[in-house]
Formats: sequence, C-alpha cells, structure tokens
Amino acid sequence: MLFNSFSFGLFLPITLLIYWAVGFKKIKTQNAVLLVASYLFYGLWDWRFLFLIVASSLVDYFAGLAVANSENRNNQKIYLYSSLLWNLGVLFIFKYYNFFIEEFALLFNQNQGEYMFSSLNLILPIGLSFYTFQTMSYTIDVYKKRIEPTTNLLNFLCFVSFFPQLVAGPIEKAGDLLPQFNKPRKFIAEDTKDGLRQILWGLFKKMVIADNAAIIVNMVYYNPENYGSYSLVYASVLFFFQIYGDFSGYSDIAIGTAKLFGFKLSRNFNVPYLAKGVTDFWQRWHITLTRWFSDYVYFPIIQKNLRSTTRRIIAILITMSLIGLWHGANWTFILFGLLQAVLMIMERLPMGRNRKTSFYYRKPRIPSFLMPVFTFPFIVASCILFRSQSMDQVAVIFERIFSFISSENIKELLNRKFLFFLFILVASEVYMRHKNFPLYQLDKHLNRPTRWVIYYIFIILIFRYAGPKEDFIYFQF
Amino acid sequence: MLVPKRILSIFNFSGRQLRFLKYCLWFFVPVVIAYIILEIVVVNTPINFKIIGQYYREHSDEIELIGLGSSQMQSAFNPAYAEVKAINFASKSQHHNEDFHILKQTRKNFPKLKYVLLEVSYSHLELPHHRDDYWKNSIYLNYYGVNGFGRLTTYKDKLLYLSNPRFFSNQLTDYYIFQIDKSKFNQYGFDTNNYDGPFNEMGFDEAKIAQHNFQKLNNEDLSIFNRNTAYLYRILDYTKAENLQVIICTTPFYKTYLKARNPNILRRRDSILQVIEKKYGNITLLFQENDTLHFTVRDFINENHLNPDGAKKFTGFVNQKLDSLN
Repeated sequence: MLFNSFSFGLFLPITLLIYWAVGFKKIKTQNAVLLVASYLFYGLWDWRFLFLIVASSLVDYFAGLAVANSENRNNQKIYLYSSLLWNLGVLFIFKYYNFFIEEFALLFNQNQGEYMFSSLNLILPIGLSFYTFQTMSYTIDVYKKRIEPTTNLLNFLCFVSFFPQLVAGPIEKAGDLLPQFNKPRKFIAEDTKDGLRQILWGLFKKMVIADNAAIIVNMVYYNPENYGSYSLVYASVLFFFQIYGDFSGYSDIAIGTAKLFGFKLSRNFNVPYLAKGVTDFWQRWHITLTRWFSDYVYFPIIQKNLRSTTRRIIAILITMSLIGLWHGANWTFILFGLLQAVLMIMERLPMGRNRKTSFYYRKPRIPSFLMPVFTFPFIVASCILFRSQSMDQVAVIFERIFSFISSENIKELLNRKFLFFLFILVASEVYMRHKNFPLYQLDKHLNRPTRWVIYYIFIILIFRYAGPKEDFIYFQF
Repeated sequence: MLVPKRILSIFNFSGRQLRFLKYCLWFFVPVVIAYIILEIVVVNTPINFKIIGQYYREHSDEIELIGLGSSQMQSAFNPAYAEVKAINFASKSQHHNEDFHILKQTRKNFPKLKYVLLEVSYSHLELPHHRDDYWKNSIYLNYYGVNGFGRLTTYKDKLLYLSNPRFFSNQLTDYYIFQIDKSKFNQYGFDTNNYDGPFNEMGFDEAKIAQHNFQKLNNEDLSIFNRNTAYLYRILDYTKAENLQVIICTTPFYKTYLKARNPNILRRRDSILQVIEKKYGNITLLFQENDTLHFTVRDFINENHLNPDGAKKFTGFVNQKLDSLN
C-alpha cells in the first residue's frame, strides 16, 4: 500500500477512527489496533514477508531479554551475536547474496551456474534494510545497557512494524520510539492538524516534484548517449530533487501519519541543499541513517582514539562505504559511499599538524551563504553514481558531461510549470528553514479561510500536476 | 451534527475529537464533491477509447480482424479502409501483455474473428512490460470490460480520473477550457485529423528533419528480450489454439530512424520473426518497417508514426495481405 494511493486514503482514516475510538486509556487495545493495521499495511504488498518481520521481531525480543537476564558478559555476547547473525544474515541473503556471488564468479572467471554457488531468484522484501536496522539497534542498545529491554511483546512487535515508518523509515532508535508505545497517547488537535499539513506537504513533494522530475530523469538516464553536457547536468540536478522529493516526501508523510496517532518520529531531512559541505550534507540528509551508522559503526571504530587521524580516516571510509552498500548491492553505490568518504576526509581532517587548518575547521574565505553553491556540484556528481545502472553508464555520463557536447535537445527537457513548482519548494523550504516543514503551525500565523485556501491550492496542484505514479525510490533499499 | 448520536455512543470519542472530526468533514466534503464531478465529466468526455469501446459493443458480432499494438500501430491502421470489418485496439505504450489481455478477454464476443493484426515493432521485445497496476488498465476495464490487473477488480479500479489525474486533467483542460483538442475520431476511434507533429512543424523539410533530435530505443536488455519473447510465444500459442490467423506486422519508419536503430536489437527481433514464421502455420509477416519506397516524408507525423495519409497506405497493405491469405 503506497502512501500516495487511494487504498491508503481509505486505510488511514478507518484505522485512525478505530484507534481513537477505543479511547486513549486503553493502551493495549490501541497498540493491538496499530499492530493489526501495520501487518495489514505490510501484508498487502506480500503477505509471505510478514513471517520474516514476525521472525525478526521475535529473535530480537528474546535476544534482548536473554542479554538482560544473563549476568555473564560472554553469554550476553553470544545472544547479541546470534541476533546480529540473524539480522545481517537475512539482509545478506535477500539483498547482497546475488551481488557477491556474481562478483566472485566474475573475479575468478567462473560462469554462473557452473560454480558451486548459484544466484538466488529472490524478491527483496520491502523495507528490509529499515526494520532490520531498527531491530538491531534495540539488541545492541540493550547489550550496551543504554536501554532496558521491554517485557511487553505486543509493544515490541508494534515498535518493529509501526506502519508509518516501516518500509522507508525514519529509522528510529528503540530508546526513542519504544517508550512511546508504553505511554498513553493524548489527542492534541493542533498536533493532528500539523500531522495532516505535513502529509499534504509530503504528498506535494512526492507527487508534484519527484514524480514530475522522474519523467525527465528517466528519459535522459535511459539513453544518456542521446544527450549533451547541459542536458545530462540538468537531469542529474533534477535527479537530486527527484530523490529528495521522493524520500523526504515519504518521511514527511510518515512523520505526519505518526503524529495523527500521537507518536513523534525523528526528523529525517533538514533542507539538505543548503549544506555547507559534504559532512554537513549528511547531517541534513537521511539524518536517522547517518545517526545509526555514527552510533553503531563510526564511533565504535574510533572508540577513544578520537585524535588518531588514521583511525578517523578508516572510520569514515568504512562508515560511508557501508552507507553506500546499504543503499544497494551495486558497485555504483559502493563508489557513491567512497566518494562521500573522500570528500568528507578532505573536509574534516587536518591538512597539517594543526587541526584548525582543515577546510572544515578553518574559517572559510567564501561567505557562509555561498558555501552551499560550492557543495551542490559535489552532491550532484554523487547523484550520477546513485542513479546510474552500472559503472559503464557512470563513465558514459561523466565522459559526455566533460566533453562539453552541445545539448540541442535541452529545450525539450525544460518544463516551465515543473520548474515553477520546484521554485515553490525551494523558496518555501529555504524561507521556513528553521521550522520542521513550511506549513508547520500555520494556524498560529494565518486565519482559517486563508489556511483552507492554501490547503485547497495544494490539493488542486497535487491532482492537476501529479506526475505518473512512481514507486518510492527508497522502497528498493 | 453530521454523525448520528446513537452511532457515536458505541465509540469513546472526546468532545475535542468530535469537534476535530466535524472540522475534517467540513474540509473534505468539497474535495469529495469536486472529485465526483471530475469523474462524471471524464466519463462523458469523448476520447478514442470511449469510441472504440462503443464500436466494440455495437459491432462485435461482425468483426473479423482486430488490431493490437502500440501507438505506431494505432496511427498506422485505420479500420475504415480495411476490406473486412475490423477494430483497432492499439494504443500508446501498449505492450504485448496488455494486447494479450484484450485478445483473450474480448475473444468470446467476436464470433466471426479470423485475423489478428499484431505489431512486433523494433522496440517491442526489449522494452519492459508494464506492471499489473498500469493506469490504462482502468481504461480497458471501463471501456472494453477487460481486466488487466491480474486480480479481482474493485470499485477503485473503475475510477478513471484517479487512474491518471495528469492525463485526464490535460484532456479536460484541452477539451473544455482551451478547446484546442483537434482530434476528429471516426466511428472506429481513429483520429483522422492526426497530422500535428514535428514533421508538420518543420514543413516536411527533409534537411531540417535530418537534423531533428528524437527519442529512440538503443538500450539492449537480454533479460527483457527473453521474457518478452517468451510472452510473445504465449500469445501465438493461444492464437493457434483458437484457430486465428495472425498477421505480425511492423509499421513504416522514416529513414532517419531506420539509420539510428541498434543493429543488435534489430538482428534479435528479425531472427525471432523468422523463427516464428517457420514454427507457426497460422503466422504471416507484414514487414513494412523498411518501406521507404511507398511511404514518403509526408506520410509521417514523426520519425516512427504515420499520419492518416500514411495510415491509408498501410491499411492498403494489410488488405493485400488479407487477399493473399484467402
């Protein structure tokens, strides 16, 4: 069930009515409603993968309890590693097995099928990377004694499968989300209205910006050999806005939907095109993923040797490569991660002995407000890696861009209406950059008729100018 | 109150929640009403699918030939000139999976059906099929009674405007607001005024056309080719079981497109067509793709679509093929 589908338009109000109708004092019943709704939401894609979610939830629930109940540190480690083995094993089999087998076969010049391992014909369960990371964080946090394990199975199942963020995040830490299932939820009309406004804003970003950008991007990337330098740069810039509109739109809808049920989810995007560097970019883009990798990969590698330059370089390289690999089993994603790592290292690490001489710490000669202009080309270059189907295509695109081939057909790619909508997006987000989203707490500033006119305009824009329905890009991850 | 008190009593809503519910109802009622109006207007707007559907319902017991394929076939075959009673179900971006759904599910309503005119264009075997949630499935369901969803349909599948708001919004604004819709459909749903396109804009100047940039498929994909070819065999097996004579056709391309084709894609497609012709007794080929002798620049809208003049010629070739079969 897609957030931008008719089915969800029916599913959400019905679930919401039942949820609040049972009364806020009956937490168990409300959680049971959420669990059934979440499994229904997920099962409508492919009911077979429900077993996988339930299995993952049970493994981590019991692993968490076992870790907490065991006093022997070695036993705790065994329970933790068992949980990690399960989670990473499932992830590896569904997402990475074919990639590694094929690359291995290629490396040793073995034809597929003749080799002792053959590739598997498996569908990648939607949202696998998201909920696996969420459940892993629970067991690790219990092991590290950052949180107490829950003894309420229902709440834990809800935490893993909470439908607003189940298939594409935000990836929540157990310490943030799980306690919310234990507490009674209050119906606050202002929060609910904000939730609805955030859903509306998310739908605008997804359906008007991302889906329209997709038309041009798909056309150009389907056959990049037909396009000149400017057209390829233009399409790559649009791809940035496509993926931003798509994923941040999804996050807005998820956060807004959670608000309707009285839950608070983490912010996942913070106007990333205003980033003043690549490091800053990753603190504004898919914030919950960056936070996850920082907490569970980057900092554990560095440990106490924060001043060790070598360790920091290694930590950045490993973390960003894994972030790249998290996005998909393809060399383009690995290279994408490595490119981010190299840029971050260049920004953050001292050039000499003096740490303050690094680009990142040195007072920039470029005025602060111009920094995003210098960062954006690097982000767009990374987008080319992200969007390309193969390394060959990456090579073709970069070669054509830097050959400065004329772009006679660029006029066919320019769509004034779409560019105007893009302007609305960027202008409103930049202007309202200190708020969670541009329509945030609108009732504090505008009267009801004006607000309703704004909402209706957005609804008309969505209906009238929505692009062809595209899947959310991050579902594949 | 819009919600009766007795119903509310079984729920546990607070006064604040009820006020909010009322607020939402007031807000969303105009949206729902506006949507219902749009849906009614869309259903009543004359689009080619509607006309084809009407013709299909009224003449199905007389039809001997059905045309299936993409926009190239849609613009190339005008049933008005066919020497047998015919219907053209081809439409833009229609792949073989949609063709097969239409053929299978309309077959029972065509008691006299003898021929299937099936397009296997240059790009047909290397372009991925649409998924089961393809928006045109709502159109097929509404106008032809064909279920392409691969599952039981629901009320939602019949909502036309919702299937592709952008497409229908454009149709509505062009037709009712700007009144720039120049389409002139004959009773078969063929647009007899379909001349507007790049070639017309360039005044059919061959020097300008030679410089024109156009979209062409050059990407090879063997996995898609294998899947699509297997699917084509399924269609042909079905036609054989149903004793239908299949004319596999390719429509004419303008010379700039002919030059731009990927030789690998072309070779694979042509070898499959040869194999098919040998394998199936009920298959015959109408290969007009390279026909630069009969089709001149003035017969085209763009590099790979014929205008109504070109369609008249192409339908003539279909007639010749039908004669040769009898």
